[in-house]
Amino acid sequence: MDFGFIVTNAIVLACIYGGLAIGISITWSSLGLINLSYGFVFALSGYGAWLAAQYVSTNGAVVLLAGILTGALGGVLVCALAFIPIHDKPNFTVRGLIATLAINLIGTQGLMWWFGPRSKNLPEIFGTGKLHLGNIVLTADKVGNVVLSVAMLLLVLKWMRSSRRGLEIRAMMMNPHAAAIVGIGVRRTGFYVLAITGGLAGLASVLLSQTYYISPFGGLTPMIKGVAIALCGGLGSVLGAVIAAIVLGFNEALTSVLLGGQYVLITQFILIIIVLLIRPRGIAGILDKAREA
Amino acid sequence: MTPEWKNPLANWGVEGAIETLPAKVWTSPQGIWDKVRESRIPLHKVGRLRYYYKWPGHGSRQWSRLRYWPTRRRVLDIRGQFNDKSKRREKTIADKRPIWWVLGLIAILLAPMLFPISVQSTLLTAGATFLIYSSINLCWMLIIGTAGIYSLASYAVVGASAFGTAYLSIQYGLPWYVLPFLGGVIGLVFGMVIALPATRLDGFYYALLTIGINELCRVYALQSKQFGSATGGLYGADSYLPAGLSPTSQSTFAYYCCFALMLGALFLYRFVDGRRLGRILRMAPEKREAFAEATGVNYRRARIQVFIISSIALGFIGGFYASHYRGVSFSIFGFDTVLLGLAMLVIGGIGTAEGAVVGTLIVIFLDKVLISAGPIRLIIIGAIMLGVVLFLRGGLFGIKAQFQVWRAKKKSERRSTRAEKGGEMLPEEATETHDKDLIYWRRYDKMQRDFLKTLVCDEIIAEHKRSPLGQHSEPLERLLLYFRRAPLVDKYAIITVEPFKAYRIVALSGHRGVAPRLVEDKIYTSQEDAYHGVFLRRVQDLLEA
Repeated sequence: MDFGFIVTNAIVLACIYGGLAIGISITWSSLGLINLSYGFVFALSGYGAWLAAQYVSTNGAVVLLAGILTGALGGVLVCALAFIPIHDKPNFTVRGLIATLAINLIGTQGLMWWFGPRSKNLPEIFGTGKLHLGNIVLTADKVGNVVLSVAMLLLVLKWMRSSRRGLEIRAMMMNPHAAAIVGIGVRRTGFYVLAITGGLAGLASVLLSQTYYISPFGGLTPMIKGVAIALCGGLGSVLGAVIAAIVLGFNEALTSVLLGGQYVLITQFILIIIVLLIRPRGIAGILDKAREA
Repeated sequence: MTPEWKNPLANWGVEGAIETLPAKVWTSPQGIWDKVRESRIPLHKVGRLRYYYKWPGHGSRQWSRLRYWPTRRRVLDIRGQFNDKSKRREKTIADKRPIWWVLGLIAILLAPMLFPISVQSTLLTAGATFLIYSSINLCWMLIIGTAGIYSLASYAVVGASAFGTAYLSIQYGLPWYVLPFLGGVIGLVFGMVIALPATRLDGFYYALLTIGINELCRVYALQSKQFGSATGGLYGADSYLPAGLSPTSQSTFAYYCCFALMLGALFLYRFVDGRRLGRILRMAPEKREAFAEATGVNYRRARIQVFIISSIALGFIGGFYASHYRGVSFSIFGFDTVLLGLAMLVIGGIGTAEGAVVGTLIVIFLDKVLISAGPIRLIIIGAIMLGVVLFLRGGLFGIKAQFQVWRAKKKSERRSTRAEKGGEMLPEEATETHDKDLIYWRRYDKMQRDFLKTLVCDEIIAEHKRSPLGQHSEPLERLLLYFRRAPLVDKYAIITVEPFKAYRIVALSGHRGVAPRLVEDKIYTSQEDAYHGVFLRRVQDLLEA
C-alpha cells in the first residue's frame, strides 16, 4: 500500500469535508440552526453543475460556478422554508432541526423523482495532467481540489473579516440578541449565511464529484462527515473545524493503512467520542462561549 | 310644545326672578348607567366553556372504585361533585383518553376481519409493520419525550440487535424464543455504549453524534462479509410462525403476535412514563435542570436509566424483528428509516404515546399501502412533517391545546379593543391600587360626567350668565353642584384685584402655604362676570375631559 497516496488522499478529503464542516459550524453559531438539509443542497448543486455541463458548456469554470450558484440558491430555499417562519417561535432549535430534516427528505426524493436513481458524472474540470514529487504522483484533480477549496475558504474568511456583511455575520456569531439590538437584521443575515454556506456545499459537491458520482442520496455521507468534523472541532469555530478536519483526515489515512478500510468510521467515531467526552464542546469550543441552544 | 322650567320663586315676588325658562327634555341619569352596564359581547351557547357530559351519580356506589394492580390508580379519572342548583350528585369524566385507547385497540384487534379480500395480504403485512414500528417508536418516544435525550440511534439499536440475533440464529441454530431475549442483552450492551456520551453532551451535539453512529452501523454492516454484504441483508433466522399454516393464516397470526408486542411496548411506556421515573423527569424539563437538581432530583441518573431500559426494549424488539422477517436488511440503518421514524414521532407529537402510535399509522399507511405512488409518497410524508413542524407546537395531538391558547389570545385581543379608558382604571392599574374604593368612585364619576355633558346647552349658559347666584333650573343646579364638589387641587376661584372693579380667575394649589396660580390675564369688571368666567372654564374642562 502506498503511504503517500493515502496521505494525499486524506488531505484532499480533509479539504473538501472541512469546507462542509465550516459551513455547518457558521450556520449553527450565527443562526442557531443545525442545517441537516446540507445533504440535499450538496446533491442539488451537483445536479445544477451537471445540467450546466449538459446544456451550457463543459468548461470547468462554468461547471464550478453553476454548482456554487445552485448551492447558494438551495441555501436560500432552506432559509426561506426552515429559518424565516420559525426562527422566533418557541423551541426553535428542535423544530429547525426537524424542519431541515424534512426538507432533506422532500428534496432528495424530489431529485430522485425528477432525475431518476441513476448517478451522473461531471466532466473533469482540472484536466488529466500529473505532477511528480519524488515518489508521490499528484493528479491534476487532487491539486485542483486542494488549491480551489483552500482558496475558496480563504476568500470566504477574508470576506467575513473585511466586509460589512461579514461583520454582521460575525456579530451574530458572538451574540445574536445584541446583534439584533444594534440593528442587524436577523432574517437578512440568515439569507446571507445560508447562501454562503450553500455555496461552500456546492463547491464541495463539484470537487467531490471529480472522485465520486452525483446521485440523489450522494450528499448524505459528506454531510455526516462534515457534521462529525464540525462536532469534533467545536460548533462555531472555524479554526477548530480546520484542526479537526486535519486530525480526522490523518486518522482515516492511518486506519486504512494499519487496520483496513472498513474500520475507518469506527476509529473515527471512537476518536470523536473520546474528544467529546474530554471537551464536550469540541476541540476549540470553549464551554462558556458556545451558543446556548 | 317646548318644555320649560318654571321658577318656584317667581310667585313670591323675588327680585329679578323670571317666571319660566326654555329647557331641554328631561333625561334620566339612569340611562347612562344602564348603557354602561349592559354587555356588548356577543354570546354563543357553544364553545365558550368546555363542555362535559354530566353522568348521574349513584349514592351507594360512590365509594366502590375500580383500581388496578399494582397501583392505586383508577381506570378513569372521574370527578364527583354536588350540583347546588339541581340538588343532585353528578360525575364528570375528566380524562377520556383511556376510552379512546380502548376503542382504538379494539379496532386494531378487529381490523383483520374487516380487510377486503383483494388487498388482505398487503394490509396484513402493512399492519404487522405498523405494529412493530409503533412499538419501536414507543420506546424511542421514551428516550426523546420522557428522558429528553435527542437520540437518533434507536433504529441503530434495533438493527444491531436484529443483525446480532439473526447472525447467531443462522450460525448456531438458536430457536426463535431465545432471539428477543438475546436481542435484549445486545440492546443493553449497545445502549450502554451509546449512553456514555449522553452523560456529557448537550441535546444537539448528541443528536448529531447519533446520526453518525447510525451511519457507522450501516457502513460497517454493508462492508462486512458475515453480515451478508452480498445479499443486501442477513436472512435465514428461525421464525416463530408455525410452518403448517396457510399463507393467509400465517399473516394473521404474525399480525396478532405484533399486536401483543405493541401491547407490551404500551405497558412499558405506561410504567416508565407514568410512574416514578417519569415523574422525576417531568420535574426536570429542558432548561430547568438546575432547579430540579437544587431540589434534590437526580435527573441525570433517571435519564440514563430510561435510556438503558428503552435500549433493552429496543433490543428485544430487534430480536422479534429478526424472527418476524426471518432476518434483517441494511435498510434499517438507512438515513431514510431514521427520517421516517422521526416523521412518525413529529407528526403525532413528541411526548405522548398516542402521538407515537397515530403518527406511525399515518406514515406507514402512506409508505407501505400506497406503495404504487413511487417517490411522491415520501415527498408527501416530508411535506406533512414540514407543515407540522412549521405550524404546530405539539404535533397532531397538540392541536387542541394550541387552538385553545390561540382562541384565548384572540379573545383577550378583542376584549382590549372593546375596553373604554375614559377615566376608568385599566385592569393592571386596578390591581396595583391600594384603595379599591377609588376604582368604583372613578367608574361612578365617569358615568356622572357622561350624563352631565348631555345637560350642557346654550340655554343653560345664558341662564347662568343672567344670574350666577340664586335659584337655578334643575340641570344647571346639577352642573353647579358637581363643579362645587370638585377637589381643591386646581379648583378655580376668583380673587379681587380691586374691590368692585377688577377680578381675576386663579386656580387653587390645594396645599397649605402654596399660593394659587393665575390661569389667565383677563380682568373681569364685576363679581358676576368673574363667576360666569369660572363657570365657562369649568364647562369647557368638562366637555374636554
